[in-house]
Amino acid sequence: MEKIKHWVTENPDLAFAILLAVCVYSYFAVTEPLFMTHRTGFAIMERFAVLGLVGLALTLCIIAGEIDLSIGSNAALAAVITVRFTDQFGAVNALLMALTISTLIGMIQGYFIAYLRVRAIVLTVGTLMLLRGVALFAAEEKTVMLTDFRIPDFISTKMLGYFSPASLLVIFMFIVVGLFMTFTRYGREIYAIGGARNEALASGISLKRPMIIVFTISGFCAGLGGVIIGLRSGTAQALGLQYLLLAGTVAAFIGGVSILGGKGGVIGAAIGTLTVNFLNTGLVFNVTPAFMVQLYLGVLLLIVIMFQTGSRVFDDMQRRRQLLFDVDNRRRILAEKIEHYRKQVPR
Amino acid sequence: MSNPMITGDQASPNFFQRLNRDYSPLVVGMVVIFILVLLFGAVTADNFLTWFNFKTIIRDAALVGIMAIGLTFVTLSGNFFLLSMKETAALSIIAFATCMAAGWGFPASFVVTIAIALVAGAAQGVLIGLGGNPIVVTLGAAGLFFGIGSWWSDNLVISYRRPHGAEWLGTGSFIGDIPNITVAFIIIAIVAELVLRYTTFGRQVYLVGANRAAGKATGHENFGMAIKCCAIASVCSAFVAIAFSGQVSSAHVNYFSSEFGSSGDMTIMVIAIVMVGGNSIMGGYGSTLRTSLGAIFISTVDNMMVLHGFNSGPRVLAVGLMIVFSIIVFALVRRGSRAVE
Repeated sequence: MEKIKHWVTENPDLAFAILLAVCVYSYFAVTEPLFMTHRTGFAIMERFAVLGLVGLALTLCIIAGEIDLSIGSNAALAAVITVRFTDQFGAVNALLMALTISTLIGMIQGYFIAYLRVRAIVLTVGTLMLLRGVALFAAEEKTVMLTDFRIPDFISTKMLGYFSPASLLVIFMFIVVGLFMTFTRYGREIYAIGGARNEALASGISLKRPMIIVFTISGFCAGLGGVIIGLRSGTAQALGLQYLLLAGTVAAFIGGVSILGGKGGVIGAAIGTLTVNFLNTGLVFNVTPAFMVQLYLGVLLLIVIMFQTGSRVFDDMQRRRQLLFDVDNRRRILAEKIEHYRKQVPR
Repeated sequence: MSNPMITGDQASPNFFQRLNRDYSPLVVGMVVIFILVLLFGAVTADNFLTWFNFKTIIRDAALVGIMAIGLTFVTLSGNFFLLSMKETAALSIIAFATCMAAGWGFPASFVVTIAIALVAGAAQGVLIGLGGNPIVVTLGAAGLFFGIGSWWSDNLVISYRRPHGAEWLGTGSFIGDIPNITVAFIIIAIVAELVLRYTTFGRQVYLVGANRAAGKATGHENFGMAIKCCAIASVCSAFVAIAFSGQVSSAHVNYFSSEFGSSGDMTIMVIAIVMVGGNSIMGGYGSTLRTSLGAIFISTVDNMMVLHGFNSGPRVLAVGLMIVFSIIVFALVRRGSRAVE
């Protein structure tokens, strides 16, 4: 018990995320009789495969103090490329091609952000449009479709109860990125440039390396997400997948990242994504239309942001009050001393 | 700024010297590119240089242009951009059409819609002004507004009968054959430019955007500024929504999504216009005049590509290339100066 208490005080954000996830899950488990079944568990893990990747990518970006807006377009491009070229070159080749392209795009973005020293939102809002154009171009403005439906079947095969090849791959990805972020120097550098960029730069960390790593991972995750969606559904649209950005951002923020950077982690991303997935799946049980899901996600994000900014404003006020109090205190002490000396020294 | 001309003969700098002194190379470059594009269009496409086509270009630019002028205030005040422009417009168009369908008449519907947009913008402004990241706040607000719009309209098309009070704004024309929405675009562009140049509020926008610390020290906090600028942007998108609803006599939340126009999503289009126009995205540098010219530029290029028979893919690609190009050029030009960080 003592240990748990200690852990909660050490990681308040993670504790909050777990609490929220448990609350959402138990709410739906109590109200919907079908929610707590093995099949629903499988469905949630299937959703986790895609949204988890996007949440992971956005978590890394926000830890580095930036945000990647082009993630939806990148995923759509990967989906289009995979689905379009599967018939021509085979699924594996098409998949590798899409992943390579997405990763390269991410890498180039990271390089330019570090080289030009612009904020990532500025550049990625441009690439959002650019990649959408490329995807439209690649799909010839149509919805592309698979002809061979054995691949979607393979991707959604049930394994080990709750998992499919896709979700196992994503969990493996989470573990690898988590170890990388926690135990390697490169991972710690990412935290450093997010939390205190000027200090990190002053102490000799180059901006380029962590930025390129972050955006490469982000591009890879977006590409993998797009590939999974494309192959699983068998179709891909160039203008689709734009909802991923909102859902991924919500997941990242529930997972405990701060917009100022340097906070949060991969476990938080996983829990945040699971929370969003519980919400999504539970709302589907309630026969909620898709736009209402978007509304709830928007409200959730606004609440989290409100809490974050509120706590920051509160901290600032507290600090200012403390400062004024200290100043007053010193002035009083000084005044007393002066008074004291005046009494001692006769005029 | 030290300039050899001031120490030398002050009599009369010639045209190029004055150009070099008064305008940044970026502006000159943009104008040159614009003229080149015009010339290229005139040479290659047959019916490019006609009065009809010119009107089409300006009319296409008008709707996104008005929104972009609103967004310019936000960008100039250093709050990046709002990702909720399209969703604010969607909410407004639903509000307007619902009021019109209920038979409230144009003035009442107009006021209600503008009021809703004002509240929506100001609410975002409060969160941004308190120190929330503009991108994340407006991303959340976008989901919220779109959800409210769909929920209100049950995701259905709301239509109202043809002889209605908004027709003059959507399809009418007072001056010859120039559509009123074009006139509105020009008037709004001029008013916004005058406000930014000659009023106290306009100068405050520049101050807060250019140097937030200095603004704070002189009593111009970002809090009030963010609220005002977001409200302006929201009202502009509500105005566009009303005009668009007047054109088609109906409303649906998806009118401003990817199906709208040719080049993908309206929000990104608006941001593209602000960027391509040559406004610094970090704030404090730029003007609404540039935004209007950027709108006309993008619309010209789009028009030319349509005349040459391109599909939507290459056209979106062209706009994307323009944005990225302008970001890179801007960053390179301003590298090393304060505006970088």
